[in-house]
Amino acid sequence: MIENLVEITVDQLLAETSKSKYEGYRFITATCADNGDDTIDILYHFDKDYEMKNYRVTVKKGEEVPSISKIFFCGVLVENEMKELFGINITNLAIDFGGHMLLSEEELDSPMLRRQITIEKRGGK
Amino acid sequence: MSSTTVIPFGPQHPVLPEPLHIKLVMEDENIVEAIPAIGYVHRGLEKLTETKDFTQNVFIVERVCGICSVMHAMAYCQGIEELMNIEIPDRAKFLRVIWAELHRIHSHLLWLGLLADAFGFESLFMQVWRDREKVMDIMEETAGARVVISANTIGGTRRDLSKEQMIKINLTIDEIKKDLEQVESVFLNNYTVKHRLVGRGILTKAEAQELCTVGPMARASGISMDLRTTGYSAYGKLDFEPVIHNDGDNYARTYVRLKEVYQSIDLIKQAIAKIPEGEHVVPVKGNPPKGEVISRVEQPRGEVLYYLRANGTKNLERLRLRTPTFANIPSLMKMLPGSQLADVPLLILTIDPCISCTER
Repeated sequence: MIENLVEITVDQLLAETSKSKYEGYRFITATCADNGDDTIDILYHFDKDYEMKNYRVTVKKGEEVPSISKIFFCGVLVENEMKELFGINITNLAIDFGGHMLLSEEELDSPMLRRQITIEKRGGK
Repeated sequence: MSSTTVIPFGPQHPVLPEPLHIKLVMEDENIVEAIPAIGYVHRGLEKLTETKDFTQNVFIVERVCGICSVMHAMAYCQGIEELMNIEIPDRAKFLRVIWAELHRIHSHLLWLGLLADAFGFESLFMQVWRDREKVMDIMEETAGARVVISANTIGGTRRDLSKEQMIKINLTIDEIKKDLEQVESVFLNNYTVKHRLVGRGILTKAEAQELCTVGPMARASGISMDLRTTGYSAYGKLDFEPVIHNDGDNYARTYVRLKEVYQSIDLIKQAIAKIPEGEHVVPVKGNPPKGEVISRVEQPRGEVLYYLRANGTKNLERLRLRTPTFANIPSLMKMLPGSQLADVPLLILTIDPCISCTER
């Protein structure tokens, strides 16, 4: 349903982003989605003349993902957001808010991740 | 030798209706660095949508922002309709355009009023907001509410417009146009106003492209980008061109928004003239949505993107939205260095920041 969706690896991310910029694409935003297992999908959305191009990178939780903010500075806020809300280990950010762009010290870690809730019966029953 | 001083701007400031904090690093009166801080009123609405039925989410996304609530619901409904292969009636497409453009008018008039207040023209502020009230009255009369009007639903619109209501809308927007023509010269030609706006906060076309700026900010820097030209909803059946200006300064951003009010008035008139008879909503049948989709619309502040991922149950797996202010904050970070402290309030105002959208 999503036009021009290409699956790439983390290693290809910076090269493909640079290539997109060279081809005249603008960066719209990035989207994170927790797959419910130990992986997260990150979608990078680009646009040129109203035609979108999307890259999907599937990463394991805790895996390092290089920042694209040195290529597209406008990615700096969304990458900080992904880092805080999904706990993605994004490296080399142009401006790193240190996990406190949105969250305070008292907040839950990575509040946008899905959580497995186990309800224990009282008295071991 | 000048020393460096840090001045915190916001989160509470007379020019900001909503909390935004910017750390300004100064050398004398000149800004050398600006670092924003958001998160004061973050609500976690994206997460909330995962716990609600996909039909209930229309009401949640409308509450992302009061000023552009119709466009949020429109983008969300378009996405769900694409996932479920729902073709909405043509009348609903025109109705969506009419309410969306009414929202654009009231958003731009609100901004023009705030701008007038910021440069000290309180009478002008009052006159502009008096006209904005007329739009709010139309909302109340046609949808039963003034701000979050819940006009959209999956499959079309929740309400229809009668012929009498359309005649009244036509008359009201004629009045607004006439009033705006009277105050336009103050915004665009007054010596004092021009002194505060012209040549201040320049964002060149190259910078706007580099920083992926959207909406009136991009158009004020000479980028002819307006998602409405892609023809979503009924825009493909209406005749219009994006309003652009090439100077990229505070004045250009004022010019673009002011002229877009006239453009919206014209679009509403065209939509009323061309709206077909028929149903305004189709029933939603079949299984819940499944798959991924991206839906984009042009809000008063620029492009909004909705990413929806559904798994065939009543709950969405993921709803992600990127609002235009979120996209324009990096441009603000680049525009502020080099400006003077006295220009900061107007410069921040001219990006038309919507923190409610940013802190969704």
